[in-house]
Amino acid sequence: MAASTRPIILAILSKGDDYGYSIIQKVKDISGGQLEWTDGMLYPVLQRMEMDGLIKSQWKLSGETRPRRYYTITDKGCIELESELKSWRSVWHALKQLTEPLPAQK
Amino acid sequence: MFDLKKEIRKWKKSLHKYDVFEDGLIADLELHLRQAYEDQKFTGLDDEAAFLKALKQVGKAENIAAEYSKNRLAALNRRSPFRPGRFMPALVLNYIKTAFRTIRSQKGYSLINIAGLAIGLTVCMLIILWVVDEWSFDRFNTTADRIFRVYKDESSTQRNSTSALTPPPMAEALKQDFPEIIKSTRFGYWQRHLITYKDKQFNEIGHMHVDPDFFEMFSFPLVKGDPETVFSDPYSVVLTEKTAVKYFGEEDPIGKTLTVNNSFDVLVTGIICNESLNSSLEFDLISPFEILLKESIGEDNADNWGFNSFGTYVLLEESASAEDLNQKLIGYLKKYDEEDPDELALQPLTDIHLFSNLGHDLRNRGDIKYVWIFSALAVFVLIIACVNFMNLTTARSANRAREVGLRKVVGAKRPQLIRQFFGESVLMALIALVIALFLVEFLLPMFNSLSGKQLTSAWKDKPSLLLIFISLALITGLLSGIYPALLLSSFQPIRVLKGIMRSSGSNSLFRKALVIFQFSLSICLIIGMFIIAHQLHYIRNIDLGFNRDHIIHVSMHGELHDKYETIRERFLQNPNVLHVTASMALPTNIQSSPGTPMWEGRPEDAVMEIKSDFIDYDYIETFEIPLVEGRSFSREFSTDLETAFIVNEEAVRRMGLEKPVVGKKFGFWSIDGHIIGVMKDGHFQSLHHKIEPLVFKMFPAWLRRFYVKIRSDNIPSTIGALEKTWDEMNLGYPFEYRFLDEDFDNLYRSEARLGNIFEAFAALAVFIACLGLFGLASFTAQQRTKEIGIRKVLGSSTSRIVALLNQEFLKWIALANLIAWPIAYFTMRTWIQKFAYRADIKLWMFILSAAIALVVALITVSFQTLRAARANPVKSLKHE
Repeated sequence: MAASTRPIILAILSKGDDYGYSIIQKVKDISGGQLEWTDGMLYPVLQRMEMDGLIKSQWKLSGETRPRRYYTITDKGCIELESELKSWRSVWHALKQLTEPLPAQK
Repeated sequence: MFDLKKEIRKWKKSLHKYDVFEDGLIADLELHLRQAYEDQKFTGLDDEAAFLKALKQVGKAENIAAEYSKNRLAALNRRSPFRPGRFMPALVLNYIKTAFRTIRSQKGYSLINIAGLAIGLTVCMLIILWVVDEWSFDRFNTTADRIFRVYKDESSTQRNSTSALTPPPMAEALKQDFPEIIKSTRFGYWQRHLITYKDKQFNEIGHMHVDPDFFEMFSFPLVKGDPETVFSDPYSVVLTEKTAVKYFGEEDPIGKTLTVNNSFDVLVTGIICNESLNSSLEFDLISPFEILLKESIGEDNADNWGFNSFGTYVLLEESASAEDLNQKLIGYLKKYDEEDPDELALQPLTDIHLFSNLGHDLRNRGDIKYVWIFSALAVFVLIIACVNFMNLTTARSANRAREVGLRKVVGAKRPQLIRQFFGESVLMALIALVIALFLVEFLLPMFNSLSGKQLTSAWKDKPSLLLIFISLALITGLLSGIYPALLLSSFQPIRVLKGIMRSSGSNSLFRKALVIFQFSLSICLIIGMFIIAHQLHYIRNIDLGFNRDHIIHVSMHGELHDKYETIRERFLQNPNVLHVTASMALPTNIQSSPGTPMWEGRPEDAVMEIKSDFIDYDYIETFEIPLVEGRSFSREFSTDLETAFIVNEEAVRRMGLEKPVVGKKFGFWSIDGHIIGVMKDGHFQSLHHKIEPLVFKMFPAWLRRFYVKIRSDNIPSTIGALEKTWDEMNLGYPFEYRFLDEDFDNLYRSEARLGNIFEAFAALAVFIACLGLFGLASFTAQQRTKEIGIRKVLGSSTSRIVALLNQEFLKWIALANLIAWPIAYFTMRTWIQKFAYRADIKLWMFILSAAIALVVALITVSFQTLRAARANPVKSLKHE
């Protein structure tokens, strides 16, 4: 499971509550269909995140006839997302500096 | 044709192979699959293709399950998903409710359990009361830890000899010579006194004499009188409350006078309240020591360092050490008598009652050995009761198994269950405690007569004692709850709820072991009881070498001594009186005299300890002591009064005298004389001691009591006649007599008491063990109801079924005997060693004990088994 999965899910949920099928569709969309794992693998991740207290879930009947388990981000999840973003940014910053040609070599 | 429902069911079934897929998780995936399927169909695929695509999209169950497993592992590592609170009041209420429900639904067993515990606790509590009482002796004195008794160590002249008796000048001399001794007093009496107030007259053995320091050393509370001035006049007396009432009734005794021995008066100056105080110093009246010197022993004896007749007590300074003083006391007596080879030593006041083993010690002392024996017995009985509890509870455990299973299913953890069952056993113990408190109250009078104590239900005003009792009950509850709690809480819910509840082999083995243990203890106690009773019987019937039957004895004190000859003549006129004689010591307890006698051909360095008594004419005849050589003292020989000695065979043996012994020279107490007779060896001491050399000498001035041998028929009328004669003589003293065989029995009072207590304990232990056996038997009978029914249907008779059921129990009892016999044998052999004359420990005692245990067990068990065997098989087989 990619290290990016959890922050991505958190980011999706930070925009609003969502359910499993919809979450995986969004993940597929933003990663341009380049997903190396199957849909089913999402559910253990969600369970683990719930265990860690980052998200919580609730069964809802949403207009349609089918009940769905909706996931909500918790405060702890928000904080986690913040710190993830921070570390990803610093990694990005570091990578960017390393890959840009140095001025002296110009 | 593609069937979506069927396919999904098939797919779900494949998921179920992995146990991580709980129902909720499968629902998640199913929803996902359905939506994916719909979306695929939306793209125009047919049903089957869309489903396959959707399946692929969801992924392999194997991989998903692996992820879920990781989560589960993480959860296990981190914390349990459900953690009950430490304290749940609602659950506690439920526990209590369950406990009471169990008690109610199993009335019989609960009754047996609680009764057993209650009896065990009662016994323990009685013993605790007794031990506390024994332990409290002399400790009421505020300076108890600084008060010491000074005793003499005579081991340089007589082996292992000590004496609590010291000379009159010692108390004062010690105070003068050692600055660390700040107070000292003598304590003692010389002979019994006749005390008269108006028409009331009593012979008082408890008229003690002390020095004025006494009241400052000891904390006897004076209810009347001032401790500093009560003894300012030497002719004064302080009474105990009881004695005051005896003489004065309602009157105020202060300022009244009592007449002693019809010769001098003493003024009552104080009243002491010592009713509830346990003191090794016993007295009814106390007077200054000076009176004793002036009126009884002579003032010239005030400085007599050889007059060893009184106790000496000293109070040390707070900083002083008894050990240091003991060191300083070495050789001290030489200062006053150069030839005195004895040494002095200090004994703590608080040791006197339980630990003292001095010669000539105070009466009515306790013995630490008995404290240990009683405590051990109490613990035994309590253990038997606890074992009972364990046994019955585990036997009934199957009944609780479902409860345990259910509690575990809804989340109870093992420690919780253990706490619950401990709680139940403690609850039982507390109920038993309440019953035991009532029982103690009820049994105290009986226990008092058994133990010779005046115990009261002291816990009412002693919270510490009540606290001890409560903790005792708690400990009992926990102790008896350990095994049931561990066993019950170990049940696996899945097995229990499926109904595979079979009492495991180790469990029933453990129960058997418990019953065997109980019965071993009980049998030990029964054997002990027999051996003690047998030994006492043996002692009472051993040939003492003299006849003690139908002899009364009367103390001669004060003026009575001078009137002895007149009394003798008058009594002998009565045709029913066979002999009248007198002596110094009672023939039940003749003591040693210090020093070694002289005899013909005695080697220079020969040492011989010898018991001695001063006697009157007719002594040998009165007690029918057989003579092996020579004659007894006779009025026909004028020299008998001065120089004649009669010795026993043991003395002759030790002296190595050749026959004829009569006529050989013999000297003692600086009197040179000769032996006129040799008597057969007899037991003139308790049978704890071996026969030792003995010498009799006539010495009219030292006669202290006279004996009247009367005809065996019509004893009451003879004594009535003697009383009448006594009154006619106007002696001024009441006629107080005792039968000699009573005194003889008193020698073995502590053993007799031990015997009684053993009987009581053995009976209780057997009773409790039987309660347990009864419970187990009925349980077994109940367990085997169907078996019994089938056996009966197949033609077995009632007696054969009873035999079958009893067989098992009897095997246990037999095994218990095997264990108990050697233990009882070796323990009791140790006890019996302290008698110089021992009855053999016989095999029949063991066999009889075994038989008693067997019969009692058989009756107990048969009561249940018979009922089970008689039951109509139709009833037991009807169900199911």
